[in-house]
Amino acid sequence: MAAIGISNSAPLNGGQKLAMKYFTVAIALFGAQVLFGLLAGIQYLNPDFLFGILDFSVNRMLHINAMVVWLLFGFIGSVYWLLEDESGVPVVGLGLGNLSFWVFTLAVVVVVLVYLLVQVGPGELKSIWLINEGREYIEAPRWADIGIVVCVLVFFFNVAATFSKGKFTNIGGVLVMDLVALAGLYLAGMWYTPNISMDQHWWWWVIHLWVEATWEVLVGCLMAYGLIKTMGVRRKIVETWLYIEVALMFGSGILGLGHHYFWIGTPEYWFTIGGFFSALEPIPLVAMVVHAVFDAGTHKVKSTNNPALAWIIAQAFGNFFGAGVWGFMHTLPQINLYTHGTQWTASHGHLAFFGAYVTMVIAFMYIAIQKWRGDVYMSGNLVGAWKWKWALFLLHAGMITMTMALLISGYEQSQIERAIGGSTWMAYFEAQGHVWFMQGMLWRQIGGWIFAAGFVLLAWDLLTIGKRETRPALKVQAE
Amino acid sequence: MLEPVLLANFFIVFFSAASVILFGAGYALLFAWSRVRSRPRLMMLAYAAYAGLVVSVITLAFAANLFNNSFWTFIVVLMLVGYLVAPHGIWHLCVGTHAEAHEDEVNPIKVYQQR
Amino acid sequence: MSQTQELWWASESFWRKTAIWVTAGSFVVLIFLTFDTVDQITAGSKSERVKAYSVINNRIDYVFDEKRNFQVPVIGPEEPLFGKKLTEEEAMAMVSKGKLTTQAKNCMNCHTLLGNGAYYAPDLTKSWLDPMWGSKETREQTMVNFLINPQDHLYNALGRRMPNLGITEEEARATVAFLKWMSAIDTNGFPTNFKPIDQTDAPAPAAPVVEPVVEPMAEPAAPAQQ
Repeated sequence: MAAIGISNSAPLNGGQKLAMKYFTVAIALFGAQVLFGLLAGIQYLNPDFLFGILDFSVNRMLHINAMVVWLLFGFIGSVYWLLEDESGVPVVGLGLGNLSFWVFTLAVVVVVLVYLLVQVGPGELKSIWLINEGREYIEAPRWADIGIVVCVLVFFFNVAATFSKGKFTNIGGVLVMDLVALAGLYLAGMWYTPNISMDQHWWWWVIHLWVEATWEVLVGCLMAYGLIKTMGVRRKIVETWLYIEVALMFGSGILGLGHHYFWIGTPEYWFTIGGFFSALEPIPLVAMVVHAVFDAGTHKVKSTNNPALAWIIAQAFGNFFGAGVWGFMHTLPQINLYTHGTQWTASHGHLAFFGAYVTMVIAFMYIAIQKWRGDVYMSGNLVGAWKWKWALFLLHAGMITMTMALLISGYEQSQIERAIGGSTWMAYFEAQGHVWFMQGMLWRQIGGWIFAAGFVLLAWDLLTIGKRETRPALKVQAE
Repeated sequence: MLEPVLLANFFIVFFSAASVILFGAGYALLFAWSRVRSRPRLMMLAYAAYAGLVVSVITLAFAANLFNNSFWTFIVVLMLVGYLVAPHGIWHLCVGTHAEAHEDEVNPIKVYQQR
Repeated sequence: MSQTQELWWASESFWRKTAIWVTAGSFVVLIFLTFDTVDQITAGSKSERVKAYSVINNRIDYVFDEKRNFQVPVIGPEEPLFGKKLTEEEAMAMVSKGKLTTQAKNCMNCHTLLGNGAYYAPDLTKSWLDPMWGSKETREQTMVNFLINPQDHLYNALGRRMPNLGITEEEARATVAFLKWMSAIDTNGFPTNFKPIDQTDAPAPAAPVVEPVVEPMAEPAAPAQQ
């Protein structure tokens, strides 16, 4: 065990080496997300800041696109990480996987450069093919869409073929089916129509069914693997629960699409469907709470990787508050009529994405880093543990500050702009100038700076954690 | 027909909706805890949390005009019954899925320092 | 490993089947609903939720529907956009050009359309009917002028301006067509309580062209409080 504490990818398998590359790009893009979020936030406070150079629209687009892509990179990396271990055989098309990693990364760089330097194009189809599709979250130009689908298909091939060749575990099965859905759903967002209602109808297929269905299940698979590996929970139990979760999540999530179909021109029956599934939405969370208490009460578990465990716990809380509490507060159409399209949505979006996905990817990165350092000790009394603890604290403090600030601004907006003002432009600007709104934007920015500090510390910690540690990791013994 | 929330009830809606989820989770948490540690006294607290949930759901229903329409009244009933039985059901599932494990899990999971 | 009483409802195989059936079932229901919804939101469909593109030849107004309990769009007398009546094909081409412009210029990352997008600038769902455009007679041209040179018009006291996105006159007119068509979509009453611009046929104003109320506010760079 000479390699302890020394960054050394030698003990990693092929899939894991590839995963480290994905994680590296993911962290860089996470940084970009934070940076452009800060710039966009400043523009609320000082509209002349970078006006005509990097307008709000550009910063905001980069902010949300960087998020989608870095989480995707994080997920792909996490799956490559567990692939060989889970299937028991080397990744089938590792060369192809590496090639597609470089193609994907290069495409992202080109898209970002075009966003920054070209920004907008003439009102023609070629702009949509080459520059910017102008549709929130899936702005990537069409050529990049095709590239994304090809890269996801290569990824899918690698996962499916590797599991087919080796052990096709239940986690593998769920993962493969989920990736089919992931790639297939993206196609729903890849065509042009002049009809904005039709456009948004299919747009939600990509956004909702990715974020609130397939991503959730993907995270469920990662969590299942993580529980087996880091806490030694029995595979049979974990896999049964993975299926229970899939049933609950897809059961409430697929038709939960209805809560996006209230106001975009779609028929009124979506009120009832959206309302019904909104009421079901918290059931998976209740299941999680009961099961977590049950597990904590019946097993004595000592963690082998404290930072990863802390982020997994953060995921449970973040998902509960971000998706559960923040979602349910404004999901019924009777109130959503006022909150739809206000900072309310931004508040919910920030907390839910962070709570459900960012936390999970960070947890997986810590699992990977531990092995990368030669299975270094990461339990209590870890040398330099203050860094991961402070990063965790600052990222949460920043996120909670932002979420609360946006909530107050959104609450004010729903009253002044919508309920009282009658939703005209005059009412919009009146609400935007209200002291509650401006204070909210100021505090959001302060939260942003705290979050940025947390990010810097996190990046530093990921690069250095375990470096000065000489003890080997604790081992869990399962089965 | 949808009856949008009155301006005066905005805060009540947000607050009671958040309470529904928080009490729901509190009930589930206390319920599971009471069972896992066999502490019947905690079960009283669990049902107190459920009572809080009932109050929140009813408050939400009035503030969001849910009782003015049979479909939305059904949703209210669904929430009240669903959240009551869900922790029970999940608990049985937990016991059921872990049944086999308890047999051979004399000392559950070993953690040791590797040297 | 002892094979103790495995409960069928707690077994892996039961939940695997349940997961598959629940997923497939939900998806099948979604497909059926999608067929119906897509049919209803096709432009010019019988449901009248999304109007034919040639609706831009007419006045678009809103009246309160007692039964549905919100405002619904009504098609008024003929009021062709830019004074030129278009066929359905011509109207569709123009709206499509406008839609492409909104995408190519990335409108959605400041504005919301049908409530979706970013929250830095006002919602565009019913912008065609917004009272801020002054009078209904000058509205079209005011909108076109604004889109071509937005950086010169400060519509608010916050200091937020729309940047110049290089929108041509043709694109600007098409965008107005798209916005007019969008304002006729039946959005189940969103955004709520909306008060449209006065579109009644008042006697033509005798006064010379009065600058619309939307001209630059007092101090262009008045920094918003903050």
